[in-house]
Amino acid sequence: MRTKLLIAAAGIGLLLSAAPVWAHHAFAAEFDVNRPLVLKGTVTKMEWINPHAWIHLAVKNADGTTTEWMIEAGAPNGLLRRGFNKHSLPPGTEIVVEGWQAKDQSNRANGSNITYPDGRKLFIGSPGTGAPEPKDAR
Amino acid sequence: MTKQIFLLMGTLALVTLASVPAAAQSTSSEEGKVDKNWSAPKTPWGDPDLQGTWTSDDTWGVPFERPKQYGTRRFLTEDEIKDRAKRVEQSQEFIDKGGPAHSPAVAELEAKEKGETPPPAQGRYGRGVDAAPVPGHWGEFARRASPLTSQVMDPPDGQIPPMTPEAAKLLAEKQQMRRKQDSYVDWSLYDRCITRGIAGSIIPVIYGNGLEIVQAPGYVSIRYEMVHDVRIIPLDRREHAGSGYRSYMGDAIGHWEGNTLVVDTTNFLGKTAIGVNGDFGPPTSEALHTTERFTRTGTNTIDYKMTVDDPFVYTAPWSYEFPITQEPGYKLFEYACHEGNMAMHNMLSTARMEEAKKAAAGKQ
Repeated sequence: MRTKLLIAAAGIGLLLSAAPVWAHHAFAAEFDVNRPLVLKGTVTKMEWINPHAWIHLAVKNADGTTTEWMIEAGAPNGLLRRGFNKHSLPPGTEIVVEGWQAKDQSNRANGSNITYPDGRKLFIGSPGTGAPEPKDAR
Repeated sequence: MTKQIFLLMGTLALVTLASVPAAAQSTSSEEGKVDKNWSAPKTPWGDPDLQGTWTSDDTWGVPFERPKQYGTRRFLTEDEIKDRAKRVEQSQEFIDKGGPAHSPAVAELEAKEKGETPPPAQGRYGRGVDAAPVPGHWGEFARRASPLTSQVMDPPDGQIPPMTPEAAKLLAEKQQMRRKQDSYVDWSLYDRCITRGIAGSIIPVIYGNGLEIVQAPGYVSIRYEMVHDVRIIPLDRREHAGSGYRSYMGDAIGHWEGNTLVVDTTNFLGKTAIGVNGDFGPPTSEALHTTERFTRTGTNTIDYKMTVDDPFVYTAPWSYEFPITQEPGYKLFEYACHEGNMAMHNMLSTARMEEAKKAAAGKQ
């Protein structure tokens, strides 16, 4: 990826991420600190499961083939309280994932940052999520 | 008491719990004082009414044990509260705006592509997923700045009393065992969707800090969201079950002292910790005896206090305290822990892959 990357990671992000965090499973036991990645793809489905939701992503390779990736997202109930719902990330949505690949080198990754191609963040704000509002959303 | 004492993973977490930075803080401004113009509501049958959906979010980020610089001071000064309030605002802004434009993964990837050394570790928590395991904007946060210097408030220095030598030895052995990742049984009861215990179910963590209290004549029930343990607490029993009965959540008996619900719990299995998710933190044994006090101090605030008395593990009883609050629009959702849960599979498959890698390296 050739985007100009300005990592404003210090400031608030660091302040928050520096708090020791225990999720429902050990991130370091699953994801590889030496395998950072950036993936651009199309959502094929989202699984609302615990401890964390998984987004399935079809990623086009340089040779024209497609690889299915699974991206680990936030905890479902936290996302629901944030206003995220089943219409928020419909299949076909293009997203960019920044994160780390699974240690077992399968096509799974931790979604550390997820944005739309125009840079808008996914899963932010309350109650809006930043996701496009679908016409059939109630 | 049987000598078969089960101790939990703990010391490591004791240290880390104590070191939680004062980020994303909380507590209700009503904490510790009851509004004179407010009277505690009653149920139709005359008991104090604690019913509702509550959350301990506001204490997320408050250190469990007291950082030494505060000494025996239980509350922050006005200036310190202002600092903490700023961090709460920053947390909210982080949630609303999503934090930095890119994950640290991107800088690491760029460095890797250029054959350069990855950026230095962020803080004390290592690189990559260790530095930022969960993006901040996915977590749940305090809504207001807590005036508390620590959750532990008794002894007055906010430090958990020393462990007995026997307990310390068993804990060290247990930690040694825990380094294995051979089977699902090597992972915690929380990882395995079994329980977070009565302490881990309410001590605030990065998400899922909700609980619901429902009352009926003679009973109070508490349902915790994450890992969904439910306690049904009878108010009319005098004695605990016999020592042959043991469970993760113990045998609870409640009674009212004025407007305070006092819950006395014994008959534990001693397999959960007094800390984050019952997984990390001060260990417990079968000798654990807890006393919880729930006092409604306002329409939207209950003061929660827990006294831990475990003579096998600790040289003295100790207590911690924080408010739980009702928040507009806050709901509990179903927590189907096993359904579709891939975490255990992924952690074990990673451990097997790492073993295979080591074995292959050994053959070369």
